Amino acid sequence: MRTQLALILFALGSARRRAGRTLSILMALALVTFAFSSVLFLTEALRREYRMASEALPDLTVQRLVAGRPALIEAGLAESLRQIPGVIAVEPRVWGYFFVPNLAGNFTVMGVDTAQADLTNSPWAGAVDGRLPKTGSRDEVVMGKSLARFLGLELGDAVILPVGPHRIQMDLVGTFKSEVALWSADVIVLSLTNARTFLQVPVGQVTDIAVRLSTPDEAVVAARKIAELIPDARVIDRQLMGRTYDLTFDTRGGVMGAMLMPALIAFLVLAWDRLSGVGPAEWREIGVLKAIGWRTSDVIAARLWEGVLVGFCGAVLGIFAAYLFVFYARAPGLSSVLLGWSSIYPSLDLVPAVTLSQVVVLICLVVLPFVAAGTVPAWRTAMRDPHQLLRGAS
Amino acid sequence: MSAANGIMVSAVGLTKHYPAARGERDAIHDVSLAIPAGQLWVVSGPSGSGKTTLLGLLGGMIAPTRGEVCLNGRSITHLRDHHRSLVRRTLVGMAFQEFALVMGMTLIENILLPLTPQGGATPPDIARAGQLLRRFGMEDLAGSRVERLSGGERQRGAIVRALILDPPLLMLDEPTAFLDTNNVHRIMELLFALRDEGRTILVATHDARLLDHGQVDGALRLVDGTLETDQ
Repeated sequence: MRTQLALILFALGSARRRAGRTLSILMALALVTFAFSSVLFLTEALRREYRMASEALPDLTVQRLVAGRPALIEAGLAESLRQIPGVIAVEPRVWGYFFVPNLAGNFTVMGVDTAQADLTNSPWAGAVDGRLPKTGSRDEVVMGKSLARFLGLELGDAVILPVGPHRIQMDLVGTFKSEVALWSADVIVLSLTNARTFLQVPVGQVTDIAVRLSTPDEAVVAARKIAELIPDARVIDRQLMGRTYDLTFDTRGGVMGAMLMPALIAFLVLAWDRLSGVGPAEWREIGVLKAIGWRTSDVIAARLWEGVLVGFCGAVLGIFAAYLFVFYARAPGLSSVLLGWSSIYPSLDLVPAVTLSQVVVLICLVVLPFVAAGTVPAWRTAMRDPHQLLRGAS
Repeated sequence: MSAANGIMVSAVGLTKHYPAARGERDAIHDVSLAIPAGQLWVVSGPSGSGKTTLLGLLGGMIAPTRGEVCLNGRSITHLRDHHRSLVRRTLVGMAFQEFALVMGMTLIENILLPLTPQGGATPPDIARAGQLLRRFGMEDLAGSRVERLSGGERQRGAIVRALILDPPLLMLDEPTAFLDTNNVHRIMELLFALRDEGRTILVATHDARLLDHGQVDGALRLVDGTLETDQ
């Protein structure tokens, strides 16, 4: 233990003696770690957003396709779906997109049946600051926090929206929490009547039908029965969608990671070159250490500690910078690549979702190759006779 | 500081052959010697005669091509690298012609460097380093960076470092090369004092002031890697 402590102190001294080199390596390492960490942090935060939001999604969503595109579906089909064994709830839904030219972006408009539904039991209820529209209310609205912030609105403020040829005033009674920002940031929840008018959905038709099952794991069976019942229907399985999103985030994160690989390789080449210990000064220093009685293992341990200290500091610096970049600066540039939305997205408040084990793995992935890049050449050098090293023979 | 059979350093048929890339030759050829414990011996010879190589072989810094080296009665010829390092740490203190001090470190850090693999310097070690520095007239230079020291100061610093682990065998390569006459006499007096304390000292030099000194116990002369004994 004392020996290792002494070797650590020597390693610190070595890093200090070669301050310029140490600093350049540390910054390069921090940069590489920053890049990888940013992708990881953003991907995991998005994945978490999806997981949280997916809890509110129906087990199955039934849409009607016309010319391969979603079209309005008869609300009356809901009764047929209710008869399918395993179906415990069916909800015809009215929702759509509202394009705001000034923002050059879409917002999602959802209608809720405030006349019948008990929204306090809605899966969304727990995700709202304030409250959902009261039963029977026509003039209350809930929207995503980012959208509310964008429009300069706070709870209790009046919202004026163009509904058909009119402009109606509603009260903002709730905002969706930032924890589900990915799904709710651009959402406006209106009464069903207002939503129908707003989206021009005729009475008797709905956008889609949400289906809840007693056994979600049997969604495939229920989906097959629905498809038999409604031949032009497209049935979306929540679990399947979850896997698709996971795959999407994995793919996008993977693509970003692959794009960063050249940077990592370039860094490792730099590290190998700078830390290889083949420079005359270091060659000689290892010779001195061996000549005065250091074992090869002592030389390796000292170099290992130096690599670990510099590598760890660089990695932690990079991770810290990535944390600030993603969760405070909202990952400018990177978020658009990973989110990939076709419409402009309101500002997204991401919540950190990276586990300690992921951070440890990240540090290891960056630090271990770096440490190896410095230690292996030192080991090869230290295996030589000290006399040969002192005389600079190769 | 006593040695087995009274012999601290012995070699039989010692040969070091360098590969063709460095010129096909024996740097040291068939050298046999025996240096009693507690004596000061000098190895002389012209430049390139193999003095430094011989010291390296005897000090466990170079593996011989043939022959055998014994230190304190124990063969070090076939030791693995790990054990040879331990021999260098426990038996041999070596000061090199080119000083072999680590640049960027202070003198005291260099002197205490051999202690790192055994846990670093303890207060008694630091006190001992202070005593040695005083003995060599360098107590004011302990905190100076090596690169700011003169050649003579570096030379004396290297000797102090060789002594920090109190080895029974001291090997010095050209210890007077960078010293003026006054300092040569001072170093010689110190070496003889160290010898008188029971330490075995082997000095490689072509400095006539050392060679002609009456207190030297024995002299070896190398010519083209071959020993000419003149004891």
